[in-house]
Amino acid sequence: MYGRKASELVKEFATSEPGQLSTFNNDLYSQVLEECEGHLLHLQPLMRKIQEHENELKDKRSSEDATEDSEDERRKTEAEKTIIQTALKSDQFGALVHHLSLVRNKRCLMAYVYNRAEVVRSLGWMVDNVLPEEIDEKLSSSEKEYFKNHVATLQSYMSELDLHLTVDTVPPKDPYIKVRVKEDIGEVALSDQVANLAQHAIMFLRRTDAEQYITQGQMEELTS
Amino acid sequence: MAGYYDIDDILAEEELVPSVFQHDANGVGLFDSSDDTDKVIAGSRAELPFWLVRELYLRQLISIRVPPCFDRDSKTREEIGADAAHVDLKSRCAYFYTLGCKIAPLIGDKTIGPFLLVAFRTRYREVLIKAHTLSLSVAPKYLILLTNEEAKLYEAGQSSIVAFKKWRMGGPRFQMAPVLGRKRKPT
Repeated sequence: MYGRKASELVKEFATSEPGQLSTFNNDLYSQVLEECEGHLLHLQPLMRKIQEHENELKDKRSSEDATEDSEDERRKTEAEKTIIQTALKSDQFGALVHHLSLVRNKRCLMAYVYNRAEVVRSLGWMVDNVLPEEIDEKLSSSEKEYFKNHVATLQSYMSELDLHLTVDTVPPKDPYIKVRVKEDIGEVALSDQVANLAQHAIMFLRRTDAEQYITQGQMEELTS
Repeated sequence: MAGYYDIDDILAEEELVPSVFQHDANGVGLFDSSDDTDKVIAGSRAELPFWLVRELYLRQLISIRVPPCFDRDSKTREEIGADAAHVDLKSRCAYFYTLGCKIAPLIGDKTIGPFLLVAFRTRYREVLIKAHTLSLSVAPKYLILLTNEEAKLYEAGQSSIVAFKKWRMGGPRFQMAPVLGRKRKPT
């Protein structure tokens, strides 16, 4: 059935959890593209045939106007015309089906790429400029490029404003919070101190300093 | 009309509608692959996806029958009338409401609209109650009855309850980015 593969592609995106990415399905994606090529191959001869039929009809009409035929002959050309017209309509029908399938496939492919791009964009706000490996390998090469460029744009905008937009997305109650370090990070210069962020250390940090580590999963917030 | 990139809209239009060809079509071989004349003749029956049906039907190239779940004297209508909340709609049409709204103006059946409304009204109440009270272990049994639109509402209801509980108890306000959460092996 036409358009089945394309809808599988969309379905695959729909079943993955919101905000999560699955590996870019190159295989299915190129299969859909192949199907599009196939539709085009079908479409072209049909279009040619439609053109031919139309020309024939035109010829018939002009010859009819020119000559005065007997009743019999006129009936004959009339019958021929109906046959051509039915054939014309069949070809148009076929062409329409292929055209619609092409449009449908295009929509599915676009939706797949667009919705993935949206997730990739949101990644730019959550993780700093480096993608973790397990996500990185799920992206296609153009998506990686897109992410890189998006992050670069974001960074340049923030440096222009001189404001860090990705921190404090939740309004703070207190400028300092208690955190536990989950992974060894090492000696880091924070905004108010130089701290050794060793694993399992419990520290009292500025929210703005801690936020990026927490979103990246290297620290967790402790509540008393 | 829903957005061009709307995933749900795309999937809803994939639902099949029983149709009959009113005219021959050349160069269309895929509906019946055993046939190698590459042609569909008038009068053949096929289940076509809605995205194809709409355009062809408007051009009067095919005639369609209403999908069984919307049909005037179908079992579904009787069941909805009896106890809407416990009808398994998902297996009949995963996008029951979306497709219903799309198909009603196309065939001009005035009874579909009120029918959808009645179904939704009764089921929505149940969905909301269940979303707020059902424990996670019983939920899957109930979820399989819901169409995709209802499942979204159910999830929304549940997440609002979770958010409310979190707000009441207090808790960490920063969280790890959800994308980093699941470290499943890539398949």
